[in-house]
Amino acid sequence: MLRFARKRMLASLVSLVGLVILVFFLVRLTGDPTDLYLPIDATDAMREQFRANNGLNDPLIVQFGRYVWDLLHLDFGDSIRRARPAIDVVLEAFVWTLQLAVITMSLVAVLAVVLGSLCAFWAGRLFDRAVTFVSLIGASAPDFWIAIVAIVLFSIHLGWLPTSGTGGWQFWILPVSVLFIRPFGLIVQVVRGSMIGALSSPYVKTARAKGVKNRPIIFVHTLRNAMLPVVTVMGDQAAALLNGAVVVETIFGFPGVGKLMIDAILQRDFNVILAAIMVTAFAIFLMNLLIDLAYLLLDPRIRA
Amino acid sequence: MKGMSLVLAALLASTAGAFAQANTDVTIVLGEELDLVEPCMATRSNIGRVILENISETLTELDMKNGGQVAGRLAESWEDQGNGTWRFKLRPNVKFSDGTAFDAEDVKHSLERATSPDISCESSRYFGDTKLSASVVDPTTVDIKAEPAQPILPLLMSVLTIVPAETPIEFTRQPVGTGPYVLSSWTPGQSIVLDRRADYWGAAPAVTKATYVFRSDSAVRAAMVQAGEADLAPSISVLDATNPATDFSYPNSETMYLRIDTSVPPMNDKRVRQALNMAIDRAAFIGSLLPEGTEPAVAIVPPTTLGWNPDIKVPEFDPEGAKKLLEEAKADGVPVDTPIELIGRTDNYPNATEVNEALQAMLQDAGFTVNLRMLEVAEQEKLYSKPYLEGRPPQLLSVLHDNAKGDPVFSAFFKYHSDGRQSGISDPKVDDLITRATAATGEERAKLWSELFATVHDEVVADVLLFHMVGFARVAERISFQPTIATNSQLQLSEIGFKN
Amino acid sequence: MTLADDTLAPPAEKPAALRLLAMLRRDKVACLAAAFLVLVILCALFGPMLLGEAATKQNLRGRNAPPFSLEQGWLMVLGADQLGRSLLARIVVAAQNTMLVAAGAVFFSALIGTVLGLFAGYGGKKTGEAIARLADVIMSFPSLLLAVIVLYVFNPSVANLIVVLAITRIPVYLRTTRAEILEVRERMFVQAAKVMGASHRRIMFRHILPMVLPTLLTIATLDFAFVMLAESSLSFLGIGIQPPEITWGLMVAQGRPYLNNAWWLAFWPGLAIILTTMSLNLLSSWMRIALDPVQRWRLEGGAKNNG
Repeated sequence: MLRFARKRMLASLVSLVGLVILVFFLVRLTGDPTDLYLPIDATDAMREQFRANNGLNDPLIVQFGRYVWDLLHLDFGDSIRRARPAIDVVLEAFVWTLQLAVITMSLVAVLAVVLGSLCAFWAGRLFDRAVTFVSLIGASAPDFWIAIVAIVLFSIHLGWLPTSGTGGWQFWILPVSVLFIRPFGLIVQVVRGSMIGALSSPYVKTARAKGVKNRPIIFVHTLRNAMLPVVTVMGDQAAALLNGAVVVETIFGFPGVGKLMIDAILQRDFNVILAAIMVTAFAIFLMNLLIDLAYLLLDPRIRA
Repeated sequence: MKGMSLVLAALLASTAGAFAQANTDVTIVLGEELDLVEPCMATRSNIGRVILENISETLTELDMKNGGQVAGRLAESWEDQGNGTWRFKLRPNVKFSDGTAFDAEDVKHSLERATSPDISCESSRYFGDTKLSASVVDPTTVDIKAEPAQPILPLLMSVLTIVPAETPIEFTRQPVGTGPYVLSSWTPGQSIVLDRRADYWGAAPAVTKATYVFRSDSAVRAAMVQAGEADLAPSISVLDATNPATDFSYPNSETMYLRIDTSVPPMNDKRVRQALNMAIDRAAFIGSLLPEGTEPAVAIVPPTTLGWNPDIKVPEFDPEGAKKLLEEAKADGVPVDTPIELIGRTDNYPNATEVNEALQAMLQDAGFTVNLRMLEVAEQEKLYSKPYLEGRPPQLLSVLHDNAKGDPVFSAFFKYHSDGRQSGISDPKVDDLITRATAATGEERAKLWSELFATVHDEVVADVLLFHMVGFARVAERISFQPTIATNSQLQLSEIGFKN
Repeated sequence: MTLADDTLAPPAEKPAALRLLAMLRRDKVACLAAAFLVLVILCALFGPMLLGEAATKQNLRGRNAPPFSLEQGWLMVLGADQLGRSLLARIVVAAQNTMLVAAGAVFFSALIGTVLGLFAGYGGKKTGEAIARLADVIMSFPSLLLAVIVLYVFNPSVANLIVVLAITRIPVYLRTTRAEILEVRERMFVQAAKVMGASHRRIMFRHILPMVLPTLLTIATLDFAFVMLAESSLSFLGIGIQPPEITWGLMVAQGRPYLNNAWWLAFWPGLAIILTTMSLNLLSSWMRIALDPVQRWRLEGGAKNNG
C-alpha cells in the first residue's frame, strides 16, 4: 500500500505541474491587470511603469521561466493587489475553507449514509418518500436563497444566531447548515440507489434464502458493497467544497478561498490564482489518494 | 411548501431586533474589503473610507458641509507665490501616532513617496502630468511647486496623505498618521480595528473605537445593523433600504451616462445622437428601478462641482421626435439601421442589468436596433478606454463616472478631450475650452467650465447623460450620522455622534 | 424523454412501450412527474415561439406586480418582474435555454465521463492511471476560472456555457464509473465472459456498463439541478448567460435582491428548477424498477404489494 501511495504521489506531482502550466498561460489570456489596478485616468507613463514593476512587459515564456525559478525557491510571488506574498494570502484563507469542508462533509457522510440506507431498506414507504422529497428540494434549491432566508429567520426574526462573520461556535451553524444541504441531498439519493441495487443482488438474496434473519449483518455487508460509488460522489462534493464555497463565503463573510479566488480572477491577480489552485489541487489530490485507498479497504479484490 | 410560506411570511414581517450598546464603540460594516492599508492608496474608496482623515490626514480637505469649499486640515493657510509655487503654513504642535512631531520635512517626503516610480501610489494620478516638488522653508512652512502651474493646487493637496519622513518607499502594513485614530489590529478578510488616540491635536471625537467588518452582500449588511451587530452600513442597496427610520439616501457623486464613440457611423451624425437622448424616458426610471432622489443629469459631474451650468435643460422624452430625426438622417444616407451594441457592466450598481434592459427597450421603441451585452468589469474596461478596437460596431457604453472632488478637471480631459483616454469625441472647440479652463482660476475658471458643459451637451451632443445617482446608508438608531456626497470615498469617524 | 413520443405513437406497434405506459398509469407519482416533464419539454420547444413577445414586453409602471391577480390578464397570474414583464411568459420562454444548457451539459459530461471511466477501469494500467490523473486535474481546476477563461476568450453563449459546465462535471462520472468497474470486473460473470473469449469491447459495453448505469442515472438526474444552479451562480457573478437571453438560473439570480420585497421574482423560477429535478428523479427511480426484470413485479402487482 505504501508503494502504491508513493507511486500515486509521483503521478500527482506530474499532474500538478501540468495544471500550473495550463493555468499560467490560460489566465494570461484573460487580460492585463494594469487596466484594473490603475485608475482609468492613469497616464500612459504610469501604466508603463506599473507593467515594468510587475514584469508584465516580458515575453510570456520569460515570465513563465521566472515564475518556475521562483517556485523552485518556494517563492509563489506577490499578490499585486495586496502587496504581500500570494501564498500567505492563500493559506490564511484555506484554513477557513478546510475547516468548513471537513465539518460539513463529516456531517453529510454520517447523516446521508444512515438516512439513505434506511430509505433503501424501506423503499417506497412513507419514510423513504419523505426523506427523498426533502433531500431533493435541498439538492435543487439555490443556496443563496436558503442563506438569506435563514439569516432573516434565525438572526433577525428569532435572534438566535449571529447574521454572519467569524467567532464562536454560533457563527458556524448557519454557514455549515447551508453548505450541508446540497451534498446531503445528492448523497442520500446515491446511497439509496446504490443500496437498493445491492439489496437485490444475488448474494443478499442467497443469504436471505439461507435464512440469515439477522438484519444488521445483511445491512452491514450490503453497505460495504454499496459504498464504492458513495465514496466517489462524496469525493466530488468535497472537492467542490475545497475549491471554496463562494456563495456561503460571500454572504456570511467567511474569509475562505472561494471568495479569494473570485476576487483574484476578477482582478487578474495571477499569483494569487496560481497559488490558490496549487494549494487546493494539492488537497484534492491528497483526498483522491485517500479515496482510492478506501476502495482497497472496502473491497480487497480491487487492485487499483 | 407550507414551510416555505412560513419563512416568507417571516421575511416580509419587518422587526427591529436592535439592542443598544451602552458604550461609545462602533462597528461599521463595509461592502468591500481592504486589500491594503497604505495611506498613499487612500484615494481608492475602499481604503479611503477607513483611513482617510481617520488615520492619515491631508494638508487640505473638501468641506462638504459648506458647499464643497477647500478647507485647511494640516495646513492652516496657503497662498499663491506666482510661477506655479504655493506656500503652505503648517499647523504647529501636531504629533504622529508614533510620537514624532509633524513638520515640513514630512510633507516633502510624503509628496516624494507618493510620486515615486518605485511604488504604484494611486494618489499621484490626480497630479496627471504635472510635476510637483516640495522645498522646506522652515519647520512649519513648505513650498510646493507645480510644473506647469496648477491653479487648483490646494485642492490637489486634499488627496496627499501625510506620512512621517522615516516611512520607507514601499507599501506599509502599519500606517502611521496624524489623525485622531490609530490602526490597532488588522485581520485580513475579517476585521480592522481603529482606536482613538489620546494625543490628537484637534478636538477628541465621540467614537472611542471603531471595528470595521466586511460583507459583500447588501442584504446581510442591512441585516447586521437591524440585528444590532453593526451600527453603520454606509452603503446598502436601494432594495434593502426599507426602514425610513434608519435608512438615509445621499448623492454618491456617481453619474450614469452612455458614452458614444462618435467616430463610428451612424453615431457620427448629430441627429442620431440627439435621437438617442430623446428616446430615453428618464423620469420613468426614478422611483422605480432607481431610487427616489436620483437626479437627471446634464453634466458628467454632480451639481456641487465648480462651473455647474443650471441653464442646460434635460432633453425632453420624445420618441416620435426621435423617430423623425432618424428618418431625416436616413434620407441623407446615414446608416441608422446598423445594430448598436449597448454595453453594460454586471453589478455596477443595484439593478444594473434591469436598467440596461429598460434602456435597450426604450431605444428600440424609438426605432433603433440595439443589442445588449452585459460584461464583467475587465471586459468592459477594455472597450471603455483607448485604444479602441479596430472595426468595432457602433457602441454605447453604459457606465458610471465618479467625481466628488469639486472640480471638473478630474473628468473633462479624460472624457471629452480628443486625446482623452475615454473620450468619444474629437472637437477643436472642446479641446480649446478644456485647455483654457484647466489653466484658469476663480470666476474665469467657473465660466469656462460652464461653457464647456453647454457646448458638450447642446452643440456637440457628445453622449447621453442620464442620472446623478444616490446611495443609501443604514444608521443604527443609537448613533447619529449624516451621509454626504463624500461618504463614498471617506468616512470620518469624528462625524459620528451618539444619541442620549 | 421518449415518453412524450410514446403517447403520440400508435399503440398497437409498440407492445413493450404500451406495457410501460400501463405501468406508469398505475403509479400516480411517476405519472405526475412524467406529465410535468412533458409540459417542460413542450414549453422548451414552443415557448419562445408563442410567448417570446410577451416575455420581453416591459412596463415600468407595472413592475413587481404581485402574483395571483388576473386584473392584468392571465399572463400576469404569477406576477411581473422588475421591469413589469410577465413572469409566467418568461418562465415558459426560459425553459428552452435552461433545458438546452442543463441537458447538454449533463449529456456530454455523462457521455465523456462514462466512456473515459470505462477505459480507466477496464483498460490497461497505464491508461487507467493517466485518465484518473486527468480527472484530478479537472477536479482541481476551479470551474469559475474555466468559465471566465472560456467566456472571456469566446462569448457567453449557450454552446460555450454547455462546454464549461460539461467539462467541470466530467470527473464525477469518470470516477464513479471507474470505481464501480474496479469492483465489477472481478465478479464471476465478467471473469466467465473473459474465459469464454468475449471481446473487451463486448465485455465493457454488454456486461459492465449495464451494472454501472443505475448509479450514473441517479447522479445524472441530480446533476440536472446542479447544472441549473451552477449556471445561476455564474450569471450572478456576471459571467453566465447574459440578458436579453434568459434561463431559470438567471431569473433566480436576478430576483435574489428582491427577496425582501418581491419574493415571487426568484421563487417561481426556483420552483421550476426544483419541480423539474424532482420529476426527473422520481421518474428515473421509477424507470430503474420498471426496466429491471427482477423488480418489475413491484409495479405490475398493483396495490396489494405496496405494503
